[in-house]
Amino acid sequence: MATSARNNLNAKLVLLGDMGAGKSSLVLRFVKGQFLDFQESTIGAAFFSQTLAVSDATVKFEIWDTAGQERYHSLAPMYYRGAAAAIIVYDIASIDSFARAKTWVQELQKQGNPNLVMALAGNKADLEEKRKVTADEARLYAEENGLFFMETSAKTAANVNEIFYEIAKRLPRAQPSQNPAGMVLVDRPAVGSQASACCSRYHFFSYYHSDLNFLILFAK
Amino acid sequence: MSSDDAHSSSSEHDSTDQNPNPSTSIDQSLDAIEGQLTSISLNHRNSPLPEPPIPPPHHGIGDTLPSDAHSQVEEVGAVEKSGSDVEVENSVSRGEGVLWRNSSDVEGEVEGQGSPSSSGYAGGKGTSSSSGVSGSGIEEISGDEVDQGEGGIRSGSFGGSVDSEWVPGKRHVNEDDASVSWRKRKKHFFVLSHSGKPIYSRYGDEHRLAGFSATLQAIISFVENGGDRVKLVRAGKHQVVFLVKGPIYLVCISCTEEPHESLNEQLELLYGQMILILTKSINRCFEKNPKFDMTPLLGGTDAVFSSLIHSYSWNPATFLHAYSCLPLAYPTRQAAGAILQDVAESGVLFAILMCKHKVISLVGAQKASLHPDDMLLLANFVMSSESFRTSESFSPICLPRYNPMAFLYAYVYYLDADTYLMLLTANPDAFYRLKDWRIRIEMVLLKSNVLNEAQRSMLDGGMHVEDLPVDPSPRSGSLSSHLGQPRPPPDSADRCKALLGGPCGLWHFIYRSIYLDQYVSSEFSSPINTPKQQKRLYRAYQKLYTSMHDRELGPHKTQFRRDNNYVLLCWVTQDFELYAAFDPLADKALAIKTCNRVCQWVKDVENEVFLLGASPFSW
Ligand SMILES: Nc1nc2c(ncn2[C@@H]2O[C@H](COP(=O)(O)OP(=O)(O)OP(=O)(O)O)[C@@H](O)[C@H]2O)c(=O)[nH]1
Ligand SMILES: [Mg+2]
Repeated sequence: MATSARNNLNAKLVLLGDMGAGKSSLVLRFVKGQFLDFQESTIGAAFFSQTLAVSDATVKFEIWDTAGQERYHSLAPMYYRGAAAAIIVYDIASIDSFARAKTWVQELQKQGNPNLVMALAGNKADLEEKRKVTADEARLYAEENGLFFMETSAKTAANVNEIFYEIAKRLPRAQPSQNPAGMVLVDRPAVGSQASACCSRYHFFSYYHSDLNFLILFAK
Repeated sequence: MSSDDAHSSSSEHDSTDQNPNPSTSIDQSLDAIEGQLTSISLNHRNSPLPEPPIPPPHHGIGDTLPSDAHSQVEEVGAVEKSGSDVEVENSVSRGEGVLWRNSSDVEGEVEGQGSPSSSGYAGGKGTSSSSGVSGSGIEEISGDEVDQGEGGIRSGSFGGSVDSEWVPGKRHVNEDDASVSWRKRKKHFFVLSHSGKPIYSRYGDEHRLAGFSATLQAIISFVENGGDRVKLVRAGKHQVVFLVKGPIYLVCISCTEEPHESLNEQLELLYGQMILILTKSINRCFEKNPKFDMTPLLGGTDAVFSSLIHSYSWNPATFLHAYSCLPLAYPTRQAAGAILQDVAESGVLFAILMCKHKVISLVGAQKASLHPDDMLLLANFVMSSESFRTSESFSPICLPRYNPMAFLYAYVYYLDADTYLMLLTANPDAFYRLKDWRIRIEMVLLKSNVLNEAQRSMLDGGMHVEDLPVDPSPRSGSLSSHLGQPRPPPDSADRCKALLGGPCGLWHFIYRSIYLDQYVSSEFSSPINTPKQQKRLYRAYQKLYTSMHDRELGPHKTQFRRDNNYVLLCWVTQDFELYAAFDPLADKALAIKTCNRVCQWVKDVENEVFLLGASPFSW
């Protein structure tokens, strides 16, 4: 694995979506290789980390698995602020969850981070017989809104690693040689403390390197 | 002083009591309520058909709650104090609550004067012969004791050191008020809005109980419109207790014979649990829209409420308003406390390390103090939500006694299967800092062996009545060898050898330190070793506690009562409360002496069973 130090990325990734869509199940499949038939509803948000090697980099995902329960909606910005990537999850057997996914997409778009890598996951793909949302419909929506789309199944593991892998590949890479001035040593950021990061000059990766305790600002 | 004969009048009461309330409007209300209740409990078909479930509107908390806790405004006057409440009692069964203090079915010795001694009972007052138990005492409260809904309490101590198979979560979702099984449940809890919309029901699906909720709402507003507030209704063997909290009504319907004061406190806790999840800002949703449907906002919390309600039948903290600590050697607890103290000095509001329901250590920043009820509700919330076990979490929670209007953020992390760390902060951006702190705390705890010690303490349990030192002379130094190690050999010279349990027929005790807001209870041992017996003892303590804290009669200092099941002794001083259960044949003078020894024993081991020297929890 030809990973140079400069391509060790830390990427904050947030999962959003209706309750019961399978966000926690996707994360647990990805991080622990597990699936539970009775996954408990998430409270607030749960934090995980998992490292993934892609061809040119090692990406350490810092994953916020948020709660889909309605009472936590207003708190979502606390978790998605400063994220480099988002997976918006719906359940292919639920029209409502697809509608909910669309509102999450809108909300994220309003945040104005043009470099946010967004994935749309049509989860529970194993429940073909209960399908309510066609793959075509979702794909079309994703294309129109600049997301990439995959149908996943936390149960069978289909496309689970793939979706995280695809995100890792799409994350902008650090190019310090091109813009050494873009690298700034700062204190470790707290969650979402860099809300104003949507300036045009910098692509504001909210990554920090956990060992070195610094934050990297990348030029666009 | 009464004799030691156990009078055992039956628990039937005069049905000729007049309603004590002079107000005619109340009398009328009473009739109406009685009629309503009869129709509720008997003629269930009368209730209107439930409305079809309403699709959940998107009333996010966001409508009303800024996620920034600091910008919230204190709401004034939403909750009235209950001083002027009117008790509406059904004449048929009126007096049940009074029975406990006045009737002769127990040997009542209620003293207004406390013993001046600070070390224990002043000695064997009164006669000491025990003439056994007469035939017709309180019957086995059969059926009441263990119903399928409430399940058994845990074995081990009241502190829940051993898990039973009880699983939290909503039962019997398919029931509604038309189901026979639903109506047979011994203890119902309902929460509804002032417009009659169901919010929570212990049994059955809330939406299917819309008609029933509307009926309850009608009762409450009927009486409220008359200027009175319904607090209690008795109908046959049922007690119906109401609690009004602004736009939220809480109702308990029970035939468990618990004192209504206890049921009322249980409703208070239920409300507190709701506030912990949503804050009191929820009231604003009702201001905007009286028909607001709150159920979607409580989605996924069934287990939280069911386990709270379950704890009403096994966890003494629910009525003692005190918390209990995991017994640990003093240096071990100190080590945990020291690192938590460091965290608290760096901007964390509360740092709490717990093992199941028991506290290992806890530290509050500067002046912040944590109410035992908040701790109970927080621990219940965390333990009943499986989600916290999967990884580290950062979640908004509200401590109702600390600030009912604002969210705090809780970093929650399980260090092992039983032990979890909670770091509370008002700063929503603090996650990574708290995560770092946790890593440091974990290192310190591992290095000082706290986690292993905690596990060992869980296995060994706390104080066993069999270990009560026979020699009352003061013991010195550390008794760590006593709490966790092989017991001293039984003293065969002891003249009050027990048949079962501890010396002199001591079966169990609870000691509550008033200053510390903490209690310690002995482990259950024979013969209190079945869930049914444990629950019965729990209920007896609960009753005793209520009678000792009777508002009208003023606080009592001591009580000695004997019935078929136990001799119960209670002693309240400025510093502590002691509740002890003995063999029903126990000798009174010896029992009193034994209580002295228990107090001495607790004092000797207070380093280990209590969290001392933490910031004072003055409430
Ligand atoms: N058949 C099937 N079931 C799934 C799949 N993913 C999740 N589930 C089930 O769907 C239920 C909900 O899954 P969760 O992972 O808890 O959903 P969530 O999005 O995290 O829900 P909240 O935490 O409430 O927001 C669980 O019972 C899972 O077992 C899947 O791919 N296939
Ligand atoms: Mg989840």
